[in-house]
Amino acid sequence: MNLFEKIFSYQLASRLEETATYTLTSQERAWLKMMLEQPAAASALEETTLHKIADCLLEEEIPHLQNALVEKAGAADGQTYSPLLRPLRRIMRRRQSMMIQRLNKHGQLIAPQYGVPWKLEFSMARREWYLLWYNLRTRAAMTTRLVHIQSLEEQSLPEEQYEPICQRMQEICTVERQEAVIQLLPIYNMELTRILHAFSCFDKRVEFAEDEQTYYIHLNFAANESEYMLNRLRFLGKRVRVIQGDYLKHRMRETSMKALARYGIKVQG
Amino acid sequence: MAKESFDKEIQFLRLLALTGGNYDRQQFAGRLGISVHTFDKTIRRLKEVNGDADFADLFRYNYADSAEPVLLFLYRAKSMKESETRRLPVILTALKQEPMTAASLLDVCDEQLVDSAAAPPDEKTIRSDLRYLEEIGVICREPGGRPYRYRLNNDLTDCLSREELIELYEFVDIMANTQIPSVQGYLLRDNLKKALKATSSEQLEDSWQEEWREPFSYRYHYDARILDEAHLYTLLRMIREQRYISFQYYTPSRKRSYTAQNTNPLFSRASEPRRQHMLPLRVVYDHQYGRWYLLGTTRGGRIVKFRMDGIVDIIAEEEADKLLFDEYVSRLDERTRYSWLVDTSRTVTVRARFFKPLPPQNDFIQERVRMQGQWGCITEEDQYSFIYEIQVNGYTEIRPWLRSFGSSCEVLEPAPLRESLIEEWKELMNDYESV
Repeated sequence: MNLFEKIFSYQLASRLEETATYTLTSQERAWLKMMLEQPAAASALEETTLHKIADCLLEEEIPHLQNALVEKAGAADGQTYSPLLRPLRRIMRRRQSMMIQRLNKHGQLIAPQYGVPWKLEFSMARREWYLLWYNLRTRAAMTTRLVHIQSLEEQSLPEEQYEPICQRMQEICTVERQEAVIQLLPIYNMELTRILHAFSCFDKRVEFAEDEQTYYIHLNFAANESEYMLNRLRFLGKRVRVIQGDYLKHRMRETSMKALARYGIKVQG
Repeated sequence: MAKESFDKEIQFLRLLALTGGNYDRQQFAGRLGISVHTFDKTIRRLKEVNGDADFADLFRYNYADSAEPVLLFLYRAKSMKESETRRLPVILTALKQEPMTAASLLDVCDEQLVDSAAAPPDEKTIRSDLRYLEEIGVICREPGGRPYRYRLNNDLTDCLSREELIELYEFVDIMANTQIPSVQGYLLRDNLKKALKATSSEQLEDSWQEEWREPFSYRYHYDARILDEAHLYTLLRMIREQRYISFQYYTPSRKRSYTAQNTNPLFSRASEPRRQHMLPLRVVYDHQYGRWYLLGTTRGGRIVKFRMDGIVDIIAEEEADKLLFDEYVSRLDERTRYSWLVDTSRTVTVRARFFKPLPPQNDFIQERVRMQGQWGCITEEDQYSFIYEIQVNGYTEIRPWLRSFGSSCEVLEPAPLRESLIEEWKELMNDYESV
């Protein structure tokens, strides 16, 4: 299998686009065949669709990766699909609203609510799906874990209401962004790639000060991402130090004091 | 694309993705082990491929809003002869209309390529194109004898209704973004998108909605992971063939990640790292960092591990003895059974107490431990805390994970791990003393 076939090349693809022609290779079909073996496929696609697809894939051979390819430190159940995704996407594509019954964050069942689904988001860090939606009664933006949704029912929504609601959601969800600067302690310079990997999902730029032989990582992130940012900072421990970003500094100090207290070491706050 | 140029590009893109593209040219070139001149050339070439997008901008994107991996264009960078980029589209477009023989395709090419600068193709060229396209599964032969008639093999998309195509597109989007390997999935996703666009022109009322292109958002993705899939299939094939390999290895902790190959052999020794020889046995993907490892043994049977992002210029060597291969594999599997990632040192038992959040907060700590704690178990639990226990090879690899819980985790055993964490928290507290 060669991932660098000339059929994939941009030069060719752009010419083909002029005549609205596209091509499908065996390796793409074989990949699909492999994915259809996962339990997610049964909830993502109708049985008749699955049959039609399977008929087209009869001749493809599934690449045998199972033995030679090992995944480590992934999620326990490896569950990256939710059966609710399909019904939710249907409502969203039709630009309709929904009656949603869900658990709140303390795990209590609450009365059904009327709202408009806006976005489906998957967190690679938590390996979990979230629904971002607009609550029509309270006019608030809501974030609900898909595992907390008990039931869903499509409700019709006047056509002219849909766009303004989406715009409103966009406004609410465009949160303020924060800046922080993180210094990599020079004695750990050789671990640079590992550290950059840990921050690789954030918008960043790396600066190298030749005279001090020191790396500075400038990070830009949304306020609601600071918890995950802290998780990364604790993950890396003493290799990095926040040098700009008061909230992060304050939280790191608090965490280290509390952690020491767990070990029975009292520190003057 | 020349092999060397490709290896250089892959290292270059990784550096760019990881740093956000903010080194100056000199610093970049120095880290890649190439001259500033070569650096500029590489940039120019990649810009051509990518339609002149600014590189720094490319990586300063709003990651939560896009499922389209920026680095995919690496796999689209193969350069082709100009005559080929004109001929193949003519052939494919013709086959899309109706099945055709090589001879009739020759006529079509003659007609349509009449004003092209290059000489019109001969039948041999057309036949070799058809052979290639059939080999990669893009076209297929119609039943019946010679002369063979060929057609475009888009059965997969042709047999589905528009609604079904949309649902397949969304399924592929999810799987490409959450599973490994993913490159073929992203390529398929692109083609399904084109298939959907094509159907919308036929049904005007139900036009393709641009907003459907990105049905889902994915947060906290490891972008660079798809670069390493470039080597994945070569390595998997070598494992299947039970074959030794050799490659140049750039330890990721070294400053340089690539060295230009010297045309003068007199100088080549000094700049190139020593070639590594090994029998590849397993490829490991680490979800914790989004990184790939290659595990195997030396000729003497010693276990060796390499980061895949440091591997350049793989060459197949001799086949291994089958019995020996099986023995090495089972030994490696045994030795890595308790590896948090790839550590094969002595197995220790780690015990840690995790503190639950105060009610009415949901016990998200326990949820996270159950989800990410691999094969470890929760052995005791009361209303305030629980004890997690795991047998693991050394504690270096599990340490960052435990530390990421901050004050919600107290390591009980082994004592050296407990002590070292106390020391580290003290250091951290001193770092932030003045806050």
